Amino acid sequence: MSRLLVVDDEANIRLLYAEELKDEGYEVVTAASSAEAAEKLQGGVFDLAVLDIKLKNESGIELLQKLVKERHEMPVILCSAFSCYKDDFSAWLADGYVVKSGDLTELKQEIARVLAKKAQKIKAGL
Amino acid sequence: MDRECCWDREAIEQGDCPNVGVGEEDLLVSKRQRNLEKCCECPRFLNGLKQLHDDNNPLAPVLTSFLAEYRRQKTQIQSLVSFLDNKTLEIRFLHELGYVLQSSVDLDEVLSVALTAITAGKGFGMNRAFLLLCDREEGILKGYLGLGPRNMEEASQVWNEILQNDMDLQTLAQNFRLNKLSSERAKFHDVLEQLTVPLSNKDHILIKALDGKRPIMVEGAFQHPDVPPELARLLGVDTFLSMPLISRNRRVGMIIADNCITHRTITEEDMHSLETFGFPVAFAIERASLYDKLQIELNRVTEAGKKLKEQQELIVRMENMALVGRITSSIAHSVRNPLMIIGGFARSMLKNSTESDPRRTFIESIVAETRQLEGVLDEILNYSDSLYPTRDFWDVNQLVENALRDTADSMTSLGYSTCYTPDGDLPAVYIDFKQLSYCLRTVLQNDINGISEDLSISIRSQKGENCVILRIEDCSRLISQAELDHLLVPFSETHDLGAGLGLALCKTMLDKQGIPFVAQADVHSGIRYTITLPTRKEEQS
Repeated sequence: MSRLLVVDDEANIRLLYAEELKDEGYEVVTAASSAEAAEKLQGGVFDLAVLDIKLKNESGIELLQKLVKERHEMPVILCSAFSCYKDDFSAWLADGYVVKSGDLTELKQEIARVLAKKAQKIKAGL
Repeated sequence: MDRECCWDREAIEQGDCPNVGVGEEDLLVSKRQRNLEKCCECPRFLNGLKQLHDDNNPLAPVLTSFLAEYRRQKTQIQSLVSFLDNKTLEIRFLHELGYVLQSSVDLDEVLSVALTAITAGKGFGMNRAFLLLCDREEGILKGYLGLGPRNMEEASQVWNEILQNDMDLQTLAQNFRLNKLSSERAKFHDVLEQLTVPLSNKDHILIKALDGKRPIMVEGAFQHPDVPPELARLLGVDTFLSMPLISRNRRVGMIIADNCITHRTITEEDMHSLETFGFPVAFAIERASLYDKLQIELNRVTEAGKKLKEQQELIVRMENMALVGRITSSIAHSVRNPLMIIGGFARSMLKNSTESDPRRTFIESIVAETRQLEGVLDEILNYSDSLYPTRDFWDVNQLVENALRDTADSMTSLGYSTCYTPDGDLPAVYIDFKQLSYCLRTVLQNDINGISEDLSISIRSQKGENCVILRIEDCSRLISQAELDHLLVPFSETHDLGAGLGLALCKTMLDKQGIPFVAQADVHSGIRYTITLPTRKEEQS
């Protein structure tokens, strides 16, 4: 079972993600801030992280940069209310980008795609 | 005494005196005036005087002496009158010159007037003149303009032309400036190029004249110790005048004048006249130069003012942009998150409810309405993004490949095939990458109905003149041109928000960037889009 870390400052969104992604067969751990995310990351290994770009007074992009630097083996998907970041340089570090929507199909597809790609890489020994 | 002579008659008839001509009728009735003006030169009167001598008349030597003195004084007066006339003409000329020089702040006009005055017959009548200007930054005296004929043939032609047209100095100078300035510059280009002397070369005749602030008449130029042989050879004359142009004790330049064609002697008088003329010329040149500099500074200030205004407008736009950005950001966060939560949980409830659940219809309504609202939100955000493009140089292939990659999953799931054929060596294009990416994605994924059996979309790039042309052929969507045109109008009456504004937004975004966007529809073959991407900044409006 793949283990996912979901970081979003909205409690209801964390709850929605957790419910929906659990239904898809993932183990989901949530965090409301960068600090909490760092804490959760210390506690275990994750196969993928889903980050919100705007975290109250923090930037999800900065957290993304930190994760890419410190945990480059863990893919990251950005999930944001802003579609404009999709073509922004700063967001290109992420493995996937999804605009927030009540319909989580795209997010689920993106998670599946990124995890499959990661599995292929591991298999190829990269 | 010759009694036939008329000298002692009070009044005479026309023809009595051979010396009184037509137009001098007043002399016929004025004995005194006639005696003074005509008799002393008349051979018959002189014969009479000789007879007096022969008769040993004691008055004869006295009269002869008086007559000689009178004639000497008369000649002197005539010479003085002639001198006075010349001076009057000179003063008139200088007045006219001063007026022209004072009224002009155009350096070329001043120089044209100066050189025309020196070389024109109505002016100082020199054959040729060169004007050299001091370049203080470079520390040199440098040839700037030359005027005059190069040979006898050209001289005759020019002087005949001047004679026939009978122009005053101002007209001559104007004529020169408008019609001959460039050609004279070109004509004397070789001479002017070599007429460069360092201001530090104190032994050079021109610098000596300049430093001494006095004109120098150079005679025997080929043997003159202060005249470098190359200067003498360059001018090709043995005698020339070097006149410094000094304004407020500052060295402005130098005029070299000579009579290379007629070889007329340059007199002291010529030199003094030219010296008098040199002061207003120097002053006018300096003033015109300062005016030129002032004009350059003024243009700079004007340019800076214009830039400042543009910057101010930009700041206002940026502030508006920031405001729009803040508003849209706020909308995105404040509206999209609750919408997502409502829609997400509604879907979750729907997924977990049975077909017979009476609440299912309500939940389906919530899902549909939130989907609609999300569509509206997307369009508003995209539209606000389109208002302020941020352009830079981008790789076209990267743009197209990104768009194809982003849409690959959804296109494949719909059964579409896409292909891209890039042109070789494409230059970078000046675009807003985000907006162009959005446009390409929208063109690929737009929700126009009328799907044909051919689900293929091909993209080709082609290098054009200062542009790269993207041609997108969509064979799947079969609609008429009128229907397509309607879809390209944003927020038209028949458009509801959330009802597929994508193509209209594309057009708005591209219009804002000044990028031509043509969409041609055919009900049988599909839609062909042509986007002309500029490769230079100025190609955009």
